[in-house]
Amino acid sequence: MRGSKRLWIIALMMVLALVAAACGDDDDGEGNGDTGDDNGGETEPYEAEQGTPMAEWQEEGAVTIGVKFDVPPFGFENPQSGEVEGFDVEMGNYIAEKLGVEPEFIEAISDNRIPFLEDGTADLILSTMTITTDRDTEIDFSRPYYVAQGRILVPEGSDIAGIDDLGEGTRVCTALGSTYEGTLAEQAPDAKLDLVDAYSECFEKIQNGSVDAVSTDDVILTGMVIQDDSLQLVGDPLTTEPYGVGVAEGETEAAEFLSETVEESFEDGTWDELYEEWVGQYTGEDPQHPSEVTLEDAYELFPCDETC
Amino acid sequence: MDRLLPIITNNLDIYVSGLLVTLQLVGISFVVAMLVGTLVASFRITPAKPLNWIGGFYVETFRNVPLLVLSIIFSAGLLRAGVSLGKMSAASAALGLYTAAYIAEAIRSGVSAVSKGQIEASLSLGFTYGQTMRQVILPQAFRTVIPPIGNLIIAMIKNSAIVAGSIIALDDILKVARIVNSATFATNEAFFWAGVGYLLLTIPATIIVRRLEKRFAIKR
Amino acid sequence: MGYLFDPANWEWIFAGRNFMFLLERFLNNILLALVVMALSLILGLVIALLRISKNKVTSAVTGVWIDVWRNLPVLLVLLYFGLALPQEVKEFWVDIAPGFLPPQIKDSGQVVASIIALTIYNSAVIAEIFRAGIQSLERGQGEAAAALGLPYWKAMRIVILPQGLRRMVPATVGQLITLTKDTSLVSILAIQELVAAGSIVNNTSGSPFGGTGVPAPILQVYIVVGAMFVVFNLALSLLSRRLEVRERKRAGDVETVTGLEDQISIKPV
Repeated sequence: MRGSKRLWIIALMMVLALVAAACGDDDDGEGNGDTGDDNGGETEPYEAEQGTPMAEWQEEGAVTIGVKFDVPPFGFENPQSGEVEGFDVEMGNYIAEKLGVEPEFIEAISDNRIPFLEDGTADLILSTMTITTDRDTEIDFSRPYYVAQGRILVPEGSDIAGIDDLGEGTRVCTALGSTYEGTLAEQAPDAKLDLVDAYSECFEKIQNGSVDAVSTDDVILTGMVIQDDSLQLVGDPLTTEPYGVGVAEGETEAAEFLSETVEESFEDGTWDELYEEWVGQYTGEDPQHPSEVTLEDAYELFPCDETC
Repeated sequence: MDRLLPIITNNLDIYVSGLLVTLQLVGISFVVAMLVGTLVASFRITPAKPLNWIGGFYVETFRNVPLLVLSIIFSAGLLRAGVSLGKMSAASAALGLYTAAYIAEAIRSGVSAVSKGQIEASLSLGFTYGQTMRQVILPQAFRTVIPPIGNLIIAMIKNSAIVAGSIIALDDILKVARIVNSATFATNEAFFWAGVGYLLLTIPATIIVRRLEKRFAIKR
Repeated sequence: MGYLFDPANWEWIFAGRNFMFLLERFLNNILLALVVMALSLILGLVIALLRISKNKVTSAVTGVWIDVWRNLPVLLVLLYFGLALPQEVKEFWVDIAPGFLPPQIKDSGQVVASIIALTIYNSAVIAEIFRAGIQSLERGQGEAAAALGLPYWKAMRIVILPQGLRRMVPATVGQLITLTKDTSLVSILAIQELVAAGSIVNNTSGSPFGGTGVPAPILQVYIVVGAMFVVFNLALSLLSRRLEVRERKRAGDVETVTGLEDQISIKPV
């Protein structure tokens, strides 16, 4: 007994030593984002009222933000730096800066964005999440901070030119838990849907030919086109998808605070800068400016379907 | 859990189709696993050293690699290498080849459990090696091998969820539960019925295996 | 075949921090497996003792518990807990997680869901291993202990468990191997471990978003990922065989509990 017990203890200590060594490396793979300009001195820390979620975050000194880790240019992990970067990440940094706290970024895929808010794993979700009335029954949204559109991505030489070409036998990839599950079921009922956990899988599938098309927000698809320019966006926009920052149900002060913060970013030019840096320089397009879309408009675009 | 019944009644059709997908996947994988497993087992048993080594390499690799990694290799990996496998084929290849390693081991144990004494006796009675195999060893090995293979079928039913849930994206029982969950947010109910679906497969399988065990039990 | 062996497709291993990145994330898998195994051994022993209890009801109910978890796919249990675990539990983990753990484990509420799910599943298998180990001894040793006047719990503690535990080592290490493989599944729960890391290396390598410029094809990346698991698991099974040999030298040919992938059986002498 003693002999083998000793072996186990030694093995365990070796593993722990390995772990400690690996942690001595100051690589926080989780990513603390790129807090580029540190409080240029212009923004004063926000005064949060007692009892609001913002006050809690300020007390903790940190706010946990769920972002995508595999969707450039909105949220993606860079293995060379070990950090997460992207438009959503920068919006998160902007919000955290206003509060005067440290942002902590965790991965939130489409399927667990809402559970993360419900169970408190994440304080905020900035994960290319479209505002819908159904989702509003589970969580709360800020005003729209980006307006994406649903598009279709196809490989070079494809016959598909639009939603009508997604007929019987075509295979279309999108993420489980995204609005496109429903949208495609409606607009392309004969197509065969491949539902995956993460858009990086859809990207792989369209490149290796196991699907004929990918359908999701244009920004996500643009990220794919940037990485592989043989792919192309086709057809008219399927939907308008206003993104909102998500907070847990009932945190109305937080939702209002976030809406105000987003509006400030429109006013002080930050939004335009971020857009140009992360999206504009690649697409060269002029999207619809989110200031034109209100929260009510967003709800009307995605009215009650299942859960309300 | 107040939505327990509505969840299944509203979605019965996709739950059933999920069950059928799982069944199809397990069925095809089983055939692949038995064919490849028997082949690899024969490599392990034969006196030829290089074949022993190949068999050993196969078993050690496929038993120690996660099925999820195999799924990715057999679907996306092969497609990139120019080998075009459809979804169900890639999935059955991954699950089948993975399970084959375990089947090979089960068969090898079964064969080696037949005592050497019997082999020697048979050979000294003038049976050839081939006849010994066919008439003495294999029939007895067959009996020993039924319980582990039966258990491996149950393992396959459970492992099918991994293959289907990988990038291959088949709509099996578990995937259906996730789809229902993302539309209705009724996590407990959706997953409960998925659990029921799997038990509907594994429990009868267990009962059949136990029956077969009894039927083929060696009475000493 | 050319594609498989073309050296250009393997260059990514040496480019940038790719390989180190994979290794670091693999540590998360190993750590998770060890933590879960430690918890499962404790819980598994408790369940096993309940299972062999003389009380028919306890025994039967525990039996049902074990059978249910052993007949469900691990992935289903993992996904269920990942999606349904309540807030308080996840916050509790983030509060108590020791500082030496890497951030992907320390700060992730999903990790506690995966620990709970894997422990519940794993402990059911461990309980069966314990039960087989204990029952392989019980009759002869139990009677001897009784003849010597030892009461039930003392007999358990001094005679049966120590011998039983030794016999269970191969099966337990085998289960640790299975558990290590199962940790790859937590990638589906968006936990940053090796399989997810492979996807990131594959995606970003050729891209303008944080790439090294050297493409990392998915086939080669996952062959390397698979190889890491194989090497680690092989080492574990070699360790197990070593222990078995030592045991055999010590106590003569010994009955051990073994199995193939979740199955438990007593290897006859």
